[in-house]
Amino acid sequence: MDVFGSFTLLLAFVCAAYAFVGGIAAILTRHPLLVKSTRQAGMATCVLIFIATFSLEYLLFSDNFSQAYVVSHSNRDLSAFYKVAALWSGQEGSLLFWSFLLSIYVISVLIAYRNKNGELMPYVGVVLAGVQIFFLTLNNFVESPFKTLAAVNARGMLEPFARMDGNGLNPLLQYPEMVIHPPNLYSGYTGFTIPFAFALAALLARYPGEKWIHLTRKWTMVAWCFQSLGILLGAHWAYAVLGWGGYWGWDPVENASLLPWLTGTAFLHSVMMQEKRGMMKVWNVWLVFCTFLLCILGTFLTRSGVVSSVHAFANSHIGPWFVGFLMLTMAVCFAAYAKNRDYLKTENMLDSMISRESSFLFNNLLFLIACIAVLSGTLFPVFSEWFTNNRISVGAPFFNKVMIPIGLTILFLTGVGPLLAWRKTSVDSLKRNFGWPLIVGLLCGVAAFALGYHDGASVLCLFLCGFVTWTIGMEFYRGGKVIASRTGMGLLMASHELAMRNTRRYGGYVVHFGMVLVFIGLAGAAFNTEAQKAMNIGDSMKLGKYTLVLQSADTKAEKNYTAQRMIVEVLEGNKQIMMLYPEKRQFQGTEQAAGTMVAIYSTLREDLYVVYAGMDPDTNMPVIHAFLNPLVKWIWLGGVWVVLGTLLALAPNRRAALVMAGAPQTASSAIAQALNPGVPLREGHD
Amino acid sequence: MIKAKRIVYLAVVLALAAGPIVLAQTAYSQRAKEIATKLKCMCRGCDMSAGLCAHPGGSFSGPCDTAKGMLKEVDAHLAKGESEQQIIDAFVAEYGSLVYVEPPKKGFGLVAWLMPVAYSVVGLGLLVFVVRKWAMKPPAPAVPAGTAGAAPNEALARARAQASRETED
Repeated sequence: MDVFGSFTLLLAFVCAAYAFVGGIAAILTRHPLLVKSTRQAGMATCVLIFIATFSLEYLLFSDNFSQAYVVSHSNRDLSAFYKVAALWSGQEGSLLFWSFLLSIYVISVLIAYRNKNGELMPYVGVVLAGVQIFFLTLNNFVESPFKTLAAVNARGMLEPFARMDGNGLNPLLQYPEMVIHPPNLYSGYTGFTIPFAFALAALLARYPGEKWIHLTRKWTMVAWCFQSLGILLGAHWAYAVLGWGGYWGWDPVENASLLPWLTGTAFLHSVMMQEKRGMMKVWNVWLVFCTFLLCILGTFLTRSGVVSSVHAFANSHIGPWFVGFLMLTMAVCFAAYAKNRDYLKTENMLDSMISRESSFLFNNLLFLIACIAVLSGTLFPVFSEWFTNNRISVGAPFFNKVMIPIGLTILFLTGVGPLLAWRKTSVDSLKRNFGWPLIVGLLCGVAAFALGYHDGASVLCLFLCGFVTWTIGMEFYRGGKVIASRTGMGLLMASHELAMRNTRRYGGYVVHFGMVLVFIGLAGAAFNTEAQKAMNIGDSMKLGKYTLVLQSADTKAEKNYTAQRMIVEVLEGNKQIMMLYPEKRQFQGTEQAAGTMVAIYSTLREDLYVVYAGMDPDTNMPVIHAFLNPLVKWIWLGGVWVVLGTLLALAPNRRAALVMAGAPQTASSAIAQALNPGVPLREGHD
Repeated sequence: MIKAKRIVYLAVVLALAAGPIVLAQTAYSQRAKEIATKLKCMCRGCDMSAGLCAHPGGSFSGPCDTAKGMLKEVDAHLAKGESEQQIIDAFVAEYGSLVYVEPPKKGFGLVAWLMPVAYSVVGLGLLVFVVRKWAMKPPAPAVPAGTAGAAPNEALARARAQASRETED
């Protein structure tokens, strides 16, 4: 199976190379058979990568311990669930997994557009094949996942050799979320390849800028959604498994996943400028180029060990490959831009300084500043070493101080943007529109202060959350009211109808609301408290309003690990609330490591987060470490809303005509005018 | 091997149940912990501050031995009546600039703090410049056919027509 796997990978490389070279020839000659054969080579590449990936999974499932990768990342007792995850738990496998996910996108694109966009697709195919060639080069020649073990025998010859059992999976990864977090994040990373490929292809094919944006709108949203979900799942995993009481540590790898998310988010907003007003074509092309480059950089940072991190599992020699690919991609982007930039000519015009347009410009500026600030902070230790021979660490406190003002400004704009009309907003309408949201925001801020949240940034954040929520509500209310009066529906149904008619705009608002919830959760972080105590059975400790009593302890032996479990009773006053069972797990395999299972009592107000830290090596007593983290649950709720909002935005618009059969033609445009004063109607482009 | 480990665990739990006589006591002061949140744990394995070290993946998720050592060291400095800044400086002298959790606001570390400010100022300046330039632009005059300016527009229009001919969606 290993020979088969590595052979299919090699064949995939050959196919990709053909798709690339043949594709260029097809563009030059425009020979229809060549176009067709290169497209099919592109599809074959993907299918071969699928087969290779399944081969590796087969080796993992069949406990084939003659395989180096299986030995390093699995063992006999590992459950099937985690044998799936073992695929991406190591360097070689995760690079193959990258190729695998990219192939899913590539084959979808090739199939979806097989009879469409005839002239553009060869260019797209070439770009995609180029990216695939890079990863297949790594898969085949640099980090092959199909290496067999060999040992020197008595006669001094190398011969194959199999181990009895493997080293097992890194225990930190043996957690259900770890099975879904990396696929999500990687789907985000790989997904941005599609808009990148279309942007570059359109530029190479000398298409004016608007076409590729239109074609890739939904692909970008899908990638963005996976990326967002991946980041949040990663945060939740860190929270629930690492046992340090937090969810985001500004670790280089976390930062790396945030970078393309920030530029991708900026891109999702600035495309609207282009669709509505035909502006910023050059900017959008570069934003999507940068997003793709940051995705590659993110993979590079995760995998190369340039910056130290708990995530950078292996220090390896693939760094130069990534740097080379980044350079090459950048060079191609610059060359394509320099050659064909005339086709991106834009009439950039603003009617007024106060308008939706200028708020989008600010939005983009802030996301970009956020991105560069995180990037330069992450790389600063490396810079400092270059310049001063002294590595200066940049930790979480730095990022918090820098990012809180940026984040809050972005949150503020989330509320302001929808209040501003396209083209021009009069001061009068501003006053009218801002009044209530500001009052509601102030009430939220005051309420937060009264509830005991005494921290400037947090109160400001909660104030802004109220403000933004009210403006979003107003958007639904205003549009819903118009539809309600036209159709006689109830306001709630009318708002639903409204959202379904312009899914992109209202899906966007739902995502904004999700982000508000996330921000509410983040605001709680300023008030985290903790206590740590070495306890005997029967001892108790107090944290906030809770009293924790250590009732007893037991051990349990599972197939793959043994766990010590503490049984902790939680009291509020004298009333028992619940029992918590924090665990410490000791995993088998030669790579001895321990994992914590945090026990969390979660309410909307706060999380009681209890860790059994293990036996204190000094006193030999069990140590309970408890945290009280306010509002954390809101972050995960926000994540759910973000996903729901994106799904809504992806749904096709419901036609107003169906509902308003027989209504005069002017009705729908009257609605549009009411929703978006000052803009001529263009359906579904908001 | 596995059996032996289970026996060890069982013994541990039994010992627990019996209630060891050792009294719980933290080996370091609360103040030391506060200061140690501003010092990076130098075990090179956890990437956390010494004050908050939870050492994920370690067999004991409290402060690891390195962090404990640092905490005790902070207490020793405190006993000498040193200020927080003096203590941090002493640690930097001992471990180098790697011990900072955030860059110092002096020397090269200052660059880290000034960078985001610089981006914001430059970015904002550029934005204001662009907005003013775009806002001042008069509405595009209709270019009469045959003038010099028409050529690139024609090429663009041709490309646009081609693009919409060749794509659908």
